[in-house]
Amino acid sequence: MSGEPLRDPGVDQAAISDEGLLDAHERALGRQHHEDGARYRLLPIGILFVLSGLVLFAGTYLNRYTGHYSALVFNENAKPSMNMAPKVDPLAVGRAQFKAVCITCHQESGLGLPGIYPPLAGSEWANGPADRVVRIVLYGLKGPVHVAGKEFSATAMPVFGQVPGSAYNWSDEKIAAVLTFVRQEWGNKAPAITADEVSAIRKAVGARKEMTEAELLEVK
Amino acid sequence: MTSEHSPNDAASRWPILMLLLAGSVWLVVSGVLGIIASVQVHTPVFLSGCPLLTHGRVSALAETSFVYGWLANAGLGLALWVLGRLAGEPLRAQNWALIGTAFWNIGVAVALAGVATGDATGFALLGLPRYVQLEMIFSYAAVALPGILAWSGRLRRVSFASHWYAAAALFLFPWLLSVAHVVLFALPPRGVVQAIAAGWYAQGAWTLWLAPLFLSVAYYVVAKTTGRALPSYEFAALGFWCLVFVGGLTGGRHLVGGPVPAWISAVAVVSSALLSFHVIVVVLNLRGAATAPGVSAKFVAFGIAAYALGAGADAATSFLGVAVKTEFTYFDEALRQLALYGAATAVFLGGIYFAVPRITGKAWLSGRLVRAHLLLTFAGVVLLVGSLVVASLVQIPDLLDAKVPFAQITRETRPWLLGVTGALGILLAGNIALLVNFYATACEILNLSKPAAFEAPAAAETHAS
Ligand code: HEC
Repeated sequence: MSGEPLRDPGVDQAAISDEGLLDAHERALGRQHHEDGARYRLLPIGILFVLSGLVLFAGTYLNRYTGHYSALVFNENAKPSMNMAPKVDPLAVGRAQFKAVCITCHQESGLGLPGIYPPLAGSEWANGPADRVVRIVLYGLKGPVHVAGKEFSATAMPVFGQVPGSAYNWSDEKIAAVLTFVRQEWGNKAPAITADEVSAIRKAVGARKEMTEAELLEVK
Repeated sequence: MTSEHSPNDAASRWPILMLLLAGSVWLVVSGVLGIIASVQVHTPVFLSGCPLLTHGRVSALAETSFVYGWLANAGLGLALWVLGRLAGEPLRAQNWALIGTAFWNIGVAVALAGVATGDATGFALLGLPRYVQLEMIFSYAAVALPGILAWSGRLRRVSFASHWYAAAALFLFPWLLSVAHVVLFALPPRGVVQAIAAGWYAQGAWTLWLAPLFLSVAYYVVAKTTGRALPSYEFAALGFWCLVFVGGLTGGRHLVGGPVPAWISAVAVVSSALLSFHVIVVVLNLRGAATAPGVSAKFVAFGIAAYALGAGADAATSFLGVAVKTEFTYFDEALRQLALYGAATAVFLGGIYFAVPRITGKAWLSGRLVRAHLLLTFAGVVLLVGSLVVASLVQIPDLLDAKVPFAQITRETRPWLLGVTGALGILLAGNIALLVNFYATACEILNLSKPAAFEAPAAAETHAS
């Protein structure tokens, strides 16, 4: 010890005890806007100013660059248009819909389960006339059906459309998208289906129970 | 109660000393590994024949030992110490902390062995192989227990900023790591989700774990050495909540321009900007460090300056236009070093220099080594970050220009990469000084004849100036 503890870098001295530290800060919180004069009052205003500026910036930036929080917009600079939903790729939406629901029965491979769920890959229904396949998804399908030479009758295909008794109430856009996807996946090569086609069929047919194979075959 | 060397320090000495000593050993270990990795960047043949020490592995080893060996041990030790001191009584449940410390460090050693033999995860800041993660979560909780008890059982109802930051870090790390464990390892998702989760962890480990740890130390040391209520202290709580709420949202920061939905990176950009409010408050609160006496305050002042600089640069470069240029370059590395070394390490070193004489009751054995360490750290960090920034300025225009061959870029950046190695050497020298001094001082505990000379501090705020 040099006898001069003040300058000893071996011990950094404290200017306040732990008790005093707690007291001082408790008091600092108690007294906020008086005593110390103008300098003391200007600072809080400055800080609040900065904070509101940041919040304003944050709001503007989020509004401008988030692509409506869509999971499908990857480009920050995609301009959100004022009165129109952002344009998205129907195949991407369709894939998402398929993965969310249809996949549980028809499987990721589109091959279904033998004897229970019919295949969509290579199916003459899925690739067939739009008027038939749209009806299947809009209104559901019940009773025996033949797909790729095999009969399926174990259970029913649920009702998806915005029709009475529907299990899902999917919009015409969603149905068009999922069918477009189904008709172009796993080597399927049928033309896309538009939401307008779906709406037209839904309006023309109105409310009804599930379709049957025989009824479908009458639709040309 | 007003005596600066309180009997509580001696009573809760062992867990804290163990954490701090273990931390400083890992600091030196990671320094050696870091130098090997940096030499391999400019001289690729170096040690490349040894499969345990290929570049990818050595840099993962250096990072893991630095973050989980040095920063975690030092941060936990200092957080326990600060919480214990503010509680005004000896730490409770010390055995938990001792056992936890042992298992935490065994975990770090096993993790390093795993990484060296090829079990690295490949995620930034999360080099821990899957099999040690659960063990590390439990050990952390055991070490944190006395801190939590000291916080919840404090004698006085009032709390200080150090309380909030320390308690947040103690609670949030187990949460971060267990979420990452489940999301990334137990049920690994595919593709982009994985990148998002990994980015969230890496950013969260900084904003919700390491930053709160060093801020709790910084608030304590600055308040103690300046001896007055911190200026603008009424905003401290707002600054704290800003970090807690916004900090976790900055996770998409390094995915800007990547294959993730735009809103993730937009939210991250905005959060990085909002976080500057937190940083402004911290700087206003702690500005007294710059003029406070003593080596510890100097370390802390340097650390806070680095923190502010890093946060500003991070917010500025997160914008899309800039991010696509700086990402994956030495600039990112510069910001990382500025945060982990310039900010966290400097503050922890300040905390250690402040705490150890109180814990041991002994002055640092060599005052000269303490001063040397301060200078070496300042010089090393400035040289390290400076070289990386210059290297990135050389590199960026070339990387964006497809015509420039990669070999040419390597040649042009080489002098600056040598600078990086030099800087790491300087830092290592300083850290060895700490290790030697620390062990020698700790051994002095047994020598009862030379107590450290503490002045009696003021019991209350001094009203001068
Ligand atoms: C609950 C299980 C289930 C779900 C979910 C399901 N289906 Fe079906 N689907 C069936 C069954 C069962 C049949 C056969 C019905 C029958 O036997 O009459 C069928 C038949 C079909 C058919 C006609 C036969 C064929 O294989 O081509 C098409 C087309 C079809 N589904 C498309 C879809 C689409 C598109 C979705 C998603 C929007 C979907 N299904 C969701 C069970 C399901």
